[in-house]
This record gives sequence, C-alpha cells and structure tokens, in this order.
Amino acid sequence: MNEPCSLDFVRETMKDFGTADQAGRGRFRIDTTPEKIRNAVNACRERLHCNRFIAISSADTPPVLELIYHFTGPHRAVISLAIGVPREAPVTPTLSDILPPAGILERQIHDLFGIEFTGHPGLKKIILNEDWPEGEFPLRKDWKPGPDTFYGGFREG
Amino acid sequence: MPEVVIPIGPQHPALKEPVNFRVIADGEKIVRLDLDLSYNHRGIEKAAEQRNFIRVLPLLERVCGICSHSHATAFAKGIEELMGLRIPPRAQYIRTIIAELERMHSHLLWLGVAAHEIGFNTLFMWTWRDREEVQDTLEEMSGNRVHYGMNEVGGVRRDLSASQVKAALGRLPSLQERIGKYVDMVNNQRTMLVRFRGIGTLSKEEALEFGTVGPTARASGVDYDTRRDDPYLVYDEVPWDVVTASDGDVFGRTEVRIGEIAESIRIVRHCLENLPEGPIRVNAPKTAPKGEVLSRYEAPRGELVHFIRTNGTDRVERVDIRTPTLANWTSVAHELVGQNLADIPVIVAAIDPCLSCTSRLTVINSRDKKECQVSFEELRRKKKTTWAGGGPA
Amino acid sequence: MAVPVTSLSEKLVNWARLKSPWLTIFNSGACNACDIEIIACLIPRFDVERFGILARGSPRHADILIVTGPVTLKQASRLRRVWEQIPEPKYVIAMGACGADGGVFHGLYHVMKSVESVIPVDIFVPGCPPRPDEIINGVVACLNLMAEDASHAGRAWRQKTRDRTGGEERKSTGEIYHE
Repeated sequence: MNEPCSLDFVRETMKDFGTADQAGRGRFRIDTTPEKIRNAVNACRERLHCNRFIAISSADTPPVLELIYHFTGPHRAVISLAIGVPREAPVTPTLSDILPPAGILERQIHDLFGIEFTGHPGLKKIILNEDWPEGEFPLRKDWKPGPDTFYGGFREG
Repeated sequence: MPEVVIPIGPQHPALKEPVNFRVIADGEKIVRLDLDLSYNHRGIEKAAEQRNFIRVLPLLERVCGICSHSHATAFAKGIEELMGLRIPPRAQYIRTIIAELERMHSHLLWLGVAAHEIGFNTLFMWTWRDREEVQDTLEEMSGNRVHYGMNEVGGVRRDLSASQVKAALGRLPSLQERIGKYVDMVNNQRTMLVRFRGIGTLSKEEALEFGTVGPTARASGVDYDTRRDDPYLVYDEVPWDVVTASDGDVFGRTEVRIGEIAESIRIVRHCLENLPEGPIRVNAPKTAPKGEVLSRYEAPRGELVHFIRTNGTDRVERVDIRTPTLANWTSVAHELVGQNLADIPVIVAAIDPCLSCTSRLTVINSRDKKECQVSFEELRRKKKTTWAGGGPA
Repeated sequence: MAVPVTSLSEKLVNWARLKSPWLTIFNSGACNACDIEIIACLIPRFDVERFGILARGSPRHADILIVTGPVTLKQASRLRRVWEQIPEPKYVIAMGACGADGGVFHGLYHVMKSVESVIPVDIFVPGCPPRPDEIINGVVACLNLMAEDASHAGRAWRQKTRDRTGGEERKSTGEIYHE
C-alpha cells in the first residue's frame, strides 16, 4: 500500500504499546517498554506494513539509556519505536531472531553502552579492542576519558 | 559488432582490500562469518559531543574518505531542520552538485576495484582515469580532491564562479560517452559476464529482510531510494530516475551503479545549467533548540542515517551514525555461506564496502578447528586458477 | 665515526635499492582517503611506476613502509609487528595529518598518541589527504634520504648530528619533510 501513513492510523494501531506522536516531517515516534518491544516490532511490520528496518539508534538520556528502532515501508513514513532501559540494570530482549540486521547493531551497542540483550546468540566484542577494560562503556555520559585525551576543547596554558 | 582488444596487464597487489572478518570454513565452503569492526573504530561519536557545530563538521567529514560530503551534509541538514532554518536555493543546488559528483567518483572507483578483483586491470585504469576528470572538477570547485569542506550549518562555504560552472559543464559530454562505453563493455564482454553473473545472489525478500540499502538492494528489485522517498536538497525539483535491476547478483549491482553514474551526470548538468542566483548561506544561530531528528541521506553506498539529539547548547548531545556498509553486512554474511572461499573478494567488493580495514582473514576449518591466516591476495590468485582450470571443482 | 661505503658489492646493493624501491602500505585505521590517493598514484596520470617503485603486499620484500591513518589501539600491535618484519634498511613514511599527530582524531579514546609512539618515522607527508603528486614527492624525498644514508653507511649520522647541535632529544630518528 502506497498511501501515506497518518498520525491517527498509527495511533490507533499502536495504542496497546504506547502513545504515538509526530516527530518531525514524515516520522512518528511511539514510546514503549522493553517488555513490549518484541510485540511492538511485530505489529509495526504486520499492521503498519513496514517492510524495511532502518537502524537502531542509541542515546544516553539520564536516567535511562534509550534505544530507538526505526522502520519504514512503501508508505514512506518512518516509524520509530523508543524504549528506555534503566541504567542500573540495562537489560532488554534481543530482536536478532526476528530482525536479522539487529544482530550486529546490538553487539555494537553492547560494547559502547553496556546494554545486555537477552537471547542474543553471541554478544562478543565487535567494535572495541579486545584489550579494552571490562565495564568501561565509552558512550555513556558518565564515562570520563583518560587525562591525555583531547576532544576538541581548548587546552589551558 | 566491433571487437575490443583488452590487454591483460600486471597485477597491482597494493589495492586496498576491505574488511576484516573471521571465516569459519568446512574445507573450501564457508560455514559462518564473524565481523570485527574494531580496526577502524576511532571514537568519533564521542568526540562529536564536545565540538561545536563549526568544529564538528571537519571531524564528521573524515568518518569516511570516499563519502565525506555525505556525512557532512546529513549532519548539517539535520541541524538545520532542528533550528528551523531555510537554506537559500543556490546553496541547495551547490550541495546537490557536489553530492552527485561524489556519487560519480565513488561509483567509478568501485567499478575499477571490482574489475581489479576479477583481474580486469585495464578497466581499472580506464575508470580511474575518468574518475580524475570528476576529481578535477571537485578540486576546482572546493580546493581539495577529497574532504571538500563545502558545508556549514546554514549553507555552503564557497560559491561557484561562472568559469567553474563552464569548466564543469565542458567535462560532462566526454564522461557521458565513456559511461556509454562501459555499459557496452559490461553487456558484451565475456570476461565480466562469466565472473559477475550468478555470484552473491540476493532475492528481493532477502534484501528486505536483511535491511539492505543502496545499489545492493536496488539490484534485487527493492525500490527504495532516500533521494525520492525522503527528499532533501533539490532532488524533488530536478528530473531524475531511480535505477533498479532484477538480477540481484554482482552483475545486477554493476548495472545499477553504472546507471546511477549516468543519472548523476544528468542531475549535475541540470543543476549547473539552472543554478539560481542569490546568497549561499544564512546566518545560523549558535545554538540549536532541544530536539531530535533522524537525518537520512543517500550516500553512494546506500542510505546513511544520522540520529541527532540536541540539548539547547552549541553542541550535539548525541550523534549516532549508521553507515550503509553496516546495513549491508548482514546480506554479505548470508550470501557467503555455502560459497567457495575464493569468491569472498568479489562478493565483499560487490557491496562496495567502506569499512576501511586491512585485509587479514582468519580461516577456521570447522572440521579440525585449525586456524590459518589468509590474505585477500591469495584468495584472488586462487580464484584465478580456479577459473583458468574451467570452473570450481 | 661513519665508515664510507667503498666495496663494489655494497655500492651495487645501494644502487639497486634506490633504483627500484618496493613499498608496502599499512592502513592503521584510516578513513581511506589517503589509501585511495596512494592507489591514484598508480594510474597513468601520476604513474609512480615510472620511478621503478613497486607496491608489494608483503612486508618481507619491502624497503619502505607507508602508514596511513591514526593508529587505532587495535592496529598498534599489528603495525609494530609489520614494521619488525621489514628487513633493514627500512624507511617509514607517515602519511597525512593523521600520520603527523593524529590529525583530526588527535586524542580520541581508541587512537594512539601518534605513529611515532609505535614506530620511528623518517618522512612525514603533510595533507589531508596529500595529493598523489605530494605523495610521490614524499617518496622521492625518502629516496634522497636513502641515498644520503647509504653514503654514510646507515642512519646513525642523523642521530649524531642532532646530538652535536644540542637539539632536543627526539624519540625516533624522524625528519620533517619540507617542501
């Protein structure tokens, strides 16, 4: 179906999972929870006719670590399913069995943020060096790089 | 039909080989693949959080040396959308011209590299010579052959003078003629036909399921192109067509990429001839309001996604980059299972990888668990002897 | 004191090295622009092979090692190993802004301090990325350096000059390539 997706249609279809909102031109965002994300993804693919997975975006918004799954389909709208994973216990179910490309992206997010994806076949290090110390997750906001790293601020003296 | 004589020349083993991954093999057949991305991880996303909008653009340009303008434009247009800025039309046209020139140089580069993978070094030399024409145009316009630095939040940094436009237009006819010759070559030459057909086939359903993007997906008949689906710059004003093929193998991807070069020439010519007058930038505010945006861009390799979140300061809170090669990796891992080891260079090259890694491959024999290091060069040589002997055993 | 080269066999070997140096290229986590410009040196427009320069894949047959990219943590040990495999006399060219001090990636968390902290560098070629003609210029400067070193039987003379003039101590025998 090539007719454009409307906000009401999205809202109605995804009302079991969370509220839908317009998030920019042609994009709808639905906030849901880690428990419901698998069913939400299935609903998105079947009922909203999204046949293409775009990406998983990740961000550290204290107090949660946010994961956003983006989909699109012949209707050309982008549906974003957002979940917030608590920082103290960052666990969420994996999507790699229903979404094949999620396997690699989840490994990357695990390295950089420390989120555990339960049910993932192999959460080995993929993007950080094998000697990288355990428990250091560079992209979290509270991770401080070493004293001789220089990120673009201005050095004093 | 006139015959074309192709002299087969010496090898160029210095050609950069892509990707680093572990191959688990059963004899000659591949059982499983394991990707290792850490060779190229530099920590750019973290660094981007601490540079303001002027200083972050040179950093993001250098994520990739071939599609640098893609990253800079995707970021700049995302920030402009958050700020609610309208860019002057002349700036949009200039950005589009550079974007399409970048697509041309990238596809010509790929054509040369793919030809080299099957030993067709003359085509490698020819395409890279044509690529020099594109690079000359880019150098005249921006001052550098790669990493043009044309973008800033609010417009472009350099204007195009009338003489630059004239010189660029003057180079297009010969390029168009050469592209026609490549189309003939791809369709009629026995070398490329045999070695590209039937390798790395991806059906339309598989392409959609694996999240494939770009020419790799369009060669399987998947009709997605971000320039048409989510229009940005001036793609909704300029006449152009999406190029698809139905084969789904490496040959189909060659067809799609050559077709896209022809379309790019069309777009560049239209933009150069109809370049509107006016300013090239607007004064952008220093800080961006709080918000998030998903900025999608059709890079030469596929759809590039920048997820940007801002927090009201002059820096981003988070920029999450998903490169097209990562999206295509799942399809490669799937295609290679069951194939011969010797097919790896061609299949990996067919997605046009931009992972910028060195080329060691660890082959683990699944029967006796012995590991051995193999280089792409050895695989390429093995492939040639296989084909010289009349085909795989 | 440096011993001047006099025997015929030594002169022959030095001449062969200068007339046909073999390169090996190591990508230590670059964005690839430098690598593409190196490959562009091989095409007929810039044609580095007319100088007799061949780009070989294996470090064991090379005279010159070209390093592109800022050295990521993962590549540091591999770079060191590749450098150790090259037989003496070996020369290292560090390409681009990344080779000099990390370039735009200076100080990031997955990148080493500089190429010099891993291996000693002889020539730095500036640019981001350097143009193919600048790369060929850098390789020719390296050849001149090789010729000078050969007439002094080694690179020790460079180190001694620096000590004599009281220049600041450098970790490696590096020379900045000037236009």
